[in-house]
Amino acid sequence: MLPPRPAFSLDRLGSVIAILIGIALFAAPFATYRATRIASGEARLLIEALPISMGAVVAAVALGVAVGSVLVREPLGRLGLAVIGLAILLPSLGLSAGFLTPAGNSFARVSPSLGFWLLALSFSLLAIDAFARMKLDPYGRLAALAAGVSALAFLLVSGIWDDLSILKEYHTRADSFWREARQHLLLAFGSMAAACLVGIPLGIAGHRMRTLRTAVLQGLSIVQTIPSIALFGLLMAPLGAIAASVPLAAALGIRGIGATPAFIALFLYALLPIVANTIAGLNQVPAAVVDAARGMGMSARQRLMQIEMPLALPVILAGIRIVLVQNLGLATVAALIGGGGFGSFVFQGIGQTAIDLVLLGAIPTVGLSFAASIILDSLVDIAKGALA
Amino acid sequence: MKVASVLRLTAVVLLVLFIAMPQAFAFLFEPLTDNRAPAIYNQGSLLFLTLQHLRTVALATLASTVLAVALGIFVTRPSGAEFLPLSRSLVNIGQTFPPIAVLAIAVPLVGFGEKPTFIALFLYGLLPIFENTLTGLTQVSPQTLEAARGMGMNARQRLFQVELPLAFPVILAGIRLSVIISLGTATIGSTVAAKGLGEVIIAGLQSNNIAFVLQGGLVVALLAILIHDGLGLIERFAARKLGRSTDEVP
Amino acid sequence: MIEIDHLTKRYGATTVVDDVSFQVEEGTITVVVGTSGAGKSTLLRMINRLVEPTAGRVLIDGEDTRSIPEDELRHRIGYVIQGYGLFPHRTVAANIATVPRLLGWDRKKIAQRVEELLDLFQLDPAEFAQKFPHELSGGQQQRVGVARALAARPALLLMDEPFGALDAVIRSKAQDDLLAIQRRLGTTIVLVTHDMNEAFHLGDRIAVMDQARLLQHATPAELLMHPADEFVERLVGTAERPFRLLTLTKVQDALEPGSAEGEPITASESLHDALSRLMWSGRKALPVADASGAIIGKVSVGGILGHGRPLP
Repeated sequence: MLPPRPAFSLDRLGSVIAILIGIALFAAPFATYRATRIASGEARLLIEALPISMGAVVAAVALGVAVGSVLVREPLGRLGLAVIGLAILLPSLGLSAGFLTPAGNSFARVSPSLGFWLLALSFSLLAIDAFARMKLDPYGRLAALAAGVSALAFLLVSGIWDDLSILKEYHTRADSFWREARQHLLLAFGSMAAACLVGIPLGIAGHRMRTLRTAVLQGLSIVQTIPSIALFGLLMAPLGAIAASVPLAAALGIRGIGATPAFIALFLYALLPIVANTIAGLNQVPAAVVDAARGMGMSARQRLMQIEMPLALPVILAGIRIVLVQNLGLATVAALIGGGGFGSFVFQGIGQTAIDLVLLGAIPTVGLSFAASIILDSLVDIAKGALA
Repeated sequence: MKVASVLRLTAVVLLVLFIAMPQAFAFLFEPLTDNRAPAIYNQGSLLFLTLQHLRTVALATLASTVLAVALGIFVTRPSGAEFLPLSRSLVNIGQTFPPIAVLAIAVPLVGFGEKPTFIALFLYGLLPIFENTLTGLTQVSPQTLEAARGMGMNARQRLFQVELPLAFPVILAGIRLSVIISLGTATIGSTVAAKGLGEVIIAGLQSNNIAFVLQGGLVVALLAILIHDGLGLIERFAARKLGRSTDEVP
Repeated sequence: MIEIDHLTKRYGATTVVDDVSFQVEEGTITVVVGTSGAGKSTLLRMINRLVEPTAGRVLIDGEDTRSIPEDELRHRIGYVIQGYGLFPHRTVAANIATVPRLLGWDRKKIAQRVEELLDLFQLDPAEFAQKFPHELSGGQQQRVGVARALAARPALLLMDEPFGALDAVIRSKAQDDLLAIQRRLGTTIVLVTHDMNEAFHLGDRIAVMDQARLLQHATPAELLMHPADEFVERLVGTAERPFRLLTLTKVQDALEPGSAEGEPITASESLHDALSRLMWSGRKALPVADASGAIIGKVSVGGILGHGRPLP
């Protein structure tokens, strides 16, 4: 006979999260204060970082979430806990920055410290776990993403966070931020669009011709293997030579360094997932369906456009998802060869050991990739659903 | 296949020769330099940089493999099952972090040099191995496991005699992916002063010496392609040893 | 002897196996038959404790299976499932050697046993020992699955739809092979199937299950002549009944004195075979020979028909 199920049991994941929250509250500083941008930081515990009443509220809510995460197992309840936690934690960081910065001092910098990051991590883990268990449909996921983005936009626009060091970095270079943002998106999306224009027809051709397929896939997988910075380097020499000897090319802006080699490299990296997924998508179209279409007198062109491509769409979209996430990340490296993008801030930040500057480049990159992956995953599911 | 073997061998020989005595190839790179700049990287030995590069990648991959496989096993056991949905999501989210961001964030925490590079390689290398360990372990057919249980294999015997051997080729594929990503990230590691082949490319970019950029790019690219190829051969060999038809491994 | 004693399995509010009891005699085949979802597989899996019973117990030769550690119990019981669950990463020889290896037999003994089993199942060791499962046909995989289950000479063999994945022609050959091997080794078998023909072909006794309960446990003939209720009667197939009965009866039992024209039929063949020979040849009677070929009498259409209905 089975032993009776214990009436009361602790949730393992919840326990880990509760421990993290405990460490964050009692053993780690909440914020870091620096007298100037390059001064070394001084740790501030939660009780020092906020007015006493506010600090007590944050601590109480965090403890509440810790207890709740151990006891509550329903995903919806967990998500509620996470949202409450984040709703208190995120604005409190901005308040802390205002509280710690002496009035009228524009040199002082306040940034989140280990305690804040651990709390944010704990609440996020709780939310991610809840989402993973809720198995939302694609529209639900898109709605959740939209809600998250709106909340973040509100925090940024309302000015609550304006005293934080990363936003001070932003305000001193707002112009270049948006310029690099445009450049980043141009590199990532432009090269993806170019790769689709070339890759999808190439995939269709490869689906029909075996020899072409093997050659193209092998060649592209070799390209995919080459580390980004090496590929940039390999493209610089020939592009430089073209620019030097063909005036027209130079007039069009083709150069050995800068955005051109970066764009071409991203385009080359993007081809493999698109070509391979187009071929895979077409291959998984049931032979019987194509046969039936043929039996009804559809021409090769009609079969391709009306039957095969729509059925292959989810797989092709999955390839585009891979490309987009990959490109948004790789575009950061483009800054090394003068290609611009968010990587500029990352490399500048490394050079100056200014973590805020690094984050100013890294956080938007990660945010964009994250949003892109959720949106495209949802599109893949919607496309699949439309076929089911 | 013959052609592939010849190409492979040629590439290996060329790479080794170039790394061992780069000056012998100087004539190839001279046309790319101007103002009598050196044609061959002269601020360090290519051989030393290559070995250093490989050492960092090997150590980081070893560390990621141990942790990622252990974690993969843990979340597929009944005692770790509660962490499975979360860990899957975390892997998906982790992959949206560009390696360079991990590298850059590590610098302020541990300083310049090998350490941030190692941390970035280690963390980023975890993802593909963990993901493939999960895939490999969860794709073992329930029938096979039922049969193993029915014959009286205990949990440990099932893991080591059935599940891990069956997942092995998939795990190897994850390690291969991890190594390739690490080779690239280690190259970027030179921007935070880690010793490695990226140094040659960065030096070329800083001094506007296309010859350096090209030779650095060539060595790194060839190294990556050959290692990718070599690990692929090992994978196919393992799959064959384990009774899988080779065409299942791309 | 296996005693299944008031076995019950409940998952929450649903009862999957409801108070089932029957006994399996040494060296016989018991077929558990019923529609899908009747609880047959769960019943079988409770015998080797892949499923722990909610209530009741299983005794093997008087020993309660709960007193034996799970793994040790399973080493002693052969187990064959539909699809066989062969280890794809191990050769045929290594697959068969699984349980002997777990038991720590020495290499030589294992090699010997593997060869013996391959011979028994008509798989040439030189050709098949080093093959991998994916290189075998369905029928060959099935034989390896059974050979693997028998490797450590278990006294009891549990089979869950062992022929389910085979096509009709190979299936009946595989059933005959299993019968022959069982008769030779004297293994006790409990076999689960949804196929009534298979049950009548293989079973010394048949246990009919429906909706978690055991409706009837009896010899095939009893099942035909005295079905416990309407469900059993329907499952047995009213139209098929006389022919099934004839299949179960030997020519020996309908032997009449006298002689007849034509090629003799052996006394150990079934009346079903005899009737079919008579109908095809258009004769009224056939001579009957014993195992040595000596004519011992005749069998007639009238005599056979008398056996196609329950005896008064």
